[in-house]
Amino acid sequence: METGNGSPFYILVRTGVTLELSQLSEDVRTMAEVIANRHQTTVDLVELARQWLAEHAGDGAPLRRAARNAQKTAIPTEEPLDAVHPLPRMPERFAVAAADGSQIQPDRHGAVLYYLINVGSLVYHHGSGKAPEAKSESILGYTEEDLYEQGMRVAGNLLDVRRDLAELKRLADVCENEGSSSTVALIDGSMVLWVLSDSPPGARSRKATAYLDQLDRIRCSGGIVGGFISRPSYNEIAHLLYLASLNGDTNRAEKHPNPLERLPDRAIFARLPPGARSALFVSSKKISQTDYAPRGHEVHFFYLNVVEEGQDPIIARVEVPAWVARDTGKLDLVHGAVVAQARITGDYPYALARADELAYISSRERAAFEEMVMTALLRAGVRSTPSPKAHYKRLTRMR
Amino acid sequence: MTNRDLQVGRVLRASTRGFAIGCAVMQPEIPAFGSFVRAEGQASGEAIYGLIYDVSIEDDPFVRQFIGANPPEEVVRDQRENRQVPIEVSVLAVGCGDGETIRHCLPVQPPVTLDWLYQCRSEEIRAFTSRFDYFRLVLDSRDVPTDELLAASLRAAAAARPENERERFLVSAGRELVRLLAGDPTRLEGLLHRLRT
Repeated sequence: METGNGSPFYILVRTGVTLELSQLSEDVRTMAEVIANRHQTTVDLVELARQWLAEHAGDGAPLRRAARNAQKTAIPTEEPLDAVHPLPRMPERFAVAAADGSQIQPDRHGAVLYYLINVGSLVYHHGSGKAPEAKSESILGYTEEDLYEQGMRVAGNLLDVRRDLAELKRLADVCENEGSSSTVALIDGSMVLWVLSDSPPGARSRKATAYLDQLDRIRCSGGIVGGFISRPSYNEIAHLLYLASLNGDTNRAEKHPNPLERLPDRAIFARLPPGARSALFVSSKKISQTDYAPRGHEVHFFYLNVVEEGQDPIIARVEVPAWVARDTGKLDLVHGAVVAQARITGDYPYALARADELAYISSRERAAFEEMVMTALLRAGVRSTPSPKAHYKRLTRMR
Repeated sequence: MTNRDLQVGRVLRASTRGFAIGCAVMQPEIPAFGSFVRAEGQASGEAIYGLIYDVSIEDDPFVRQFIGANPPEEVVRDQRENRQVPIEVSVLAVGCGDGETIRHCLPVQPPVTLDWLYQCRSEEIRAFTSRFDYFRLVLDSRDVPTDELLAASLRAAAAARPENERERFLVSAGRELVRLLAGDPTRLEGLLHRLRT
């Protein structure tokens, strides 16, 4: 089809548009209004949550048993619920190791079925003046044993578990190499293996054991471990405060809707002073109670304002195992190390940002790797090509 | 200069008039403006000679984050030593060789993507600058700081010679420039001034 000036390209470009922005403008405007209205509601809920926090700050002990029996509810520790711990004094020298992973999922439309996990890690020695140690390590899965678990293809959550394990193993290796009591290993995200939900019960327990074995290695090395969660959306504290407002009556808490149900905990702690952390709480996750706790790794957490004085708060959630939570020195080191790291970039641990960069598999690297696979297959006498669907997707998305 | 096949980087894109190189780390004097460099041609023993006329560091949003923040030494060293912040080096093609003779002309074919680019050794620079026919290629180039580039390349060529030969070399080069730029005395004066400083 040609335009009046005889050029076929104009029409090609026009028909190539897939997102009609003009059709969306009204929806976007309405969305902005709805969000603005919701913001005012959130402000009111935050006030209510803070009022309950102040009123029930000393009720941790009586609430503990009720919280353990309730759903998705943070369990208080010995600390007052509204405790605020300022930024601790840090040693001149300490190390932060961070690991993160990315993966290429098995693709049945690809030339061959395989997965690739790439783990990036950075070991940053504060106060050393030296370049951090950067590393990327890959795991290629291609055998039947690699690719299938009890008849299910290893993809999605099943692959996520393997990636999480590879990240933690890398951190355990670093901690053993460092052999120092002032090394903090940072996990990107929760310490709780939530991705195990897709695994059958037997396999779930086996995988949790393998994960906890790595936590044991870190503990034995003298290192410290913590999980950093940026912009957390958990509402375990909101559930606890609602339970507190009902004097720990779990039956009433289950029957009546919680007005704080959709309020993220980070909003409640947005008044933490710069560098300060909240009280410690115990995670309500079932796997933390059933698998982590018997081995001393029951997951605890606190909220933390990572920014410097004079800046808008950035609230993160930090998770630590019980053996870190119960050791003031170790807990202070995690607290201070996370703040020190986040203040390098302004709001996010530098080592985690770099570990993510080292783990990331770009589309160019992926294409180069696929080319390498095809060449190796040809050399081995196997002629294999992507499916027609994959072939045409590649052609149409090259623009 | 006594460089022995020092690698500058790999070819990113190329044409017969010149090519762009990507390298990860800046080392002392490599890559340097006005340096003589060599890429391998398509045929065995064939070489393409060029002059580096631009060294640029690509924009990096992650580095921007630290510009005004006075980052710790560990971060500065991480950014410089570990991160592959691409440095792009632009090269003007000024000659080619077949292993025996060097010609001051554009190559018949450009180097291929990912080919290595090497810093020329002192003897190569001396051989290449034993004649001045490449001056015309430089002076006629567009989008290149021609006069600065020619002066810098001549200073590099003089430095590749024994000390007692350097002045004689520069005087010969100056005479050739007088011949080529006789109709443009202002430009000639500027170029000769650059050669002296």
